[in-house]
Amino acid sequence: MHYFSQLFNYEHPWSHVVIGMWHKYPNPHCTHVVTIDTLDRTVDPRTGVIRTERLMGCKQKAPIWIVKLFGGSENAFVREISFINPATQEATITSVNLSLSQFATCYENIRYSPAPDGHTAFIQTAEIQARMSMWRSTADRLENWLVQRFEHNAQLGKMAFTDVLRSMWEAKEQHAHSCS
Amino acid sequence: MAHSLAEECTPMKREYDACFNAWFEGYLEPAVAATPETRRQYSTAKAAEYERNCGKIWAQYKECVQKAVKNKGLDVLLDQARAENPLKEPPSIPSPDKAS
Repeated sequence: MHYFSQLFNYEHPWSHVVIGMWHKYPNPHCTHVVTIDTLDRTVDPRTGVIRTERLMGCKQKAPIWIVKLFGGSENAFVREISFINPATQEATITSVNLSLSQFATCYENIRYSPAPDGHTAFIQTAEIQARMSMWRSTADRLENWLVQRFEHNAQLGKMAFTDVLRSMWEAKEQHAHSCS
Repeated sequence: MAHSLAEECTPMKREYDACFNAWFEGYLEPAVAATPETRRQYSTAKAAEYERNCGKIWAQYKECVQKAVKNKGLDVLLDQARAENPLKEPPSIPSPDKAS
């Protein structure tokens, strides 16, 4: 089992970050995310919480040994569930791989919550684990490859979202700043 | 906006996404500002507005994408993932301020 976590602040208010969430893709930093579909969405008429289930299709080259051993192709699918709670100002996003899921799970949680100075705290954790029904060495290699790819994608995701938020909001926030 | 996993669903997906985003961008800030007393009324009115504005295109898009999910054999994987972790409630993630 491998753990991954990162924590930093986006220099935008929570509502801007949460609106920006739906505009992150397509993104030149994350060309591996090629399709996004909403499978389910509810707006709770009592609490105002929005729950969304999405399916992301990714295309990323896998090493030949992965393809040979696990029959994987370069197309991978991820299930993503998000909750946006305006009352508590919390947004959580959970992602789980669907592809290769009989061999390994990559379970990711993200949370956006307000931070001081009108910023937004981002916390990302992930657990990557090969299932037990494999030779140990193969499981280790698979886990290591998944971890490497996850860390790489996490860095790309940060650059991608930073750019999106900047282009969506920078002018507006500067204007608000100069008026206050 | 990104593509749908099935090309034939992409136009409906784009129309639906645009509808949701327009609704959401009007929804969010007043929802944050609502008080415990006004929240329920606001949420009920806005949930109804979402349904009115986007319900029709959502039903079309959903039908299209559900068919595509099935055709690609992803329904089995999704059902497994949902059974393993329904995620009907938000996960508990330690908050940065409490974690430190």
